[in-house]
Amino acid sequence: MSPELATKRYFTIFIPAICAYAAGSAGVTWAVDNADLSTGLTYSLALVPILAIFFAFWAHWRFANEIDEFLRLIQIKGTLFGIASVMVVASGWGTLEMLADAPRLPVFWLLPIFWVAQSAATAVFSKRESVF
Amino acid sequence: MKNCLKALRAERKWSQSDLGDSLGVSRQTINAIEASRYDPSLPLAFKIARLFGRTIEDIFDDDAQIQD
Repeated sequence: MSPELATKRYFTIFIPAICAYAAGSAGVTWAVDNADLSTGLTYSLALVPILAIFFAFWAHWRFANEIDEFLRLIQIKGTLFGIASVMVVASGWGTLEMLADAPRLPVFWLLPIFWVAQSAATAVFSKRESVF
Repeated sequence: MKNCLKALRAERKWSQSDLGDSLGVSRQTINAIEASRYDPSLPLAFKIARLFGRTIEDIFDDDAQIQD
C-alpha cells in the first residue's frame, strides 16, 4: 500500500477518534460537575473517551503495519520518543510529588503529552531522513 | 552500508518511484537506501538483488572488515 493511501486511512480514523476523545473528556467532565450522575452512569459515560483512545492507537498500529519498513522505523522511533517523554514526565513528577510535595499532576495529561511528543519527534525524524 | 543501487537504477532509466513500485516500497525508502542512510531488511535486499539479476554482495558493500 502506498504511504499516501495508508496516511489517508490513518487520519480517517485517527482525527475523529481524537475529536471524540477531546469532546468526550470535556462532556463527561461537564456532566459530572453539573449533573447528579450515578456511579454506574459516570463509568458508562467515561467509556466514550476511553474507546476513542483505543481507536486512535488501533489506527496508529494499522498505519505502522501498512507502510514500508523504512517509514515504519521512523514511526517506531517517534513512538519510542513519545513513550520515553511520558515516562520521564510521570516518573519525574511523581518523584517531585513524593519528595517535595509538588502539586498533583492528573494522569489525564499523559496521553496529550505522548501524542505531542510522538508527533514532534516523528516530524523531526522524517525531516532528517528527507521523507518530506 | 554502501551500495550501487543508484547506478543500477540509472542504467535502466528508472525513477526512484518506478523502482519503489517494483519493490513494493516508497520513493522515500529508495532514496534513503541510495543515500546509505538506511540498510534494507534481508527480504528487501533479496528482492532488490533479484530485480536486478545480481547477488546481494554485488549491490551492497559492507565496508566492515571481518577479523579472523
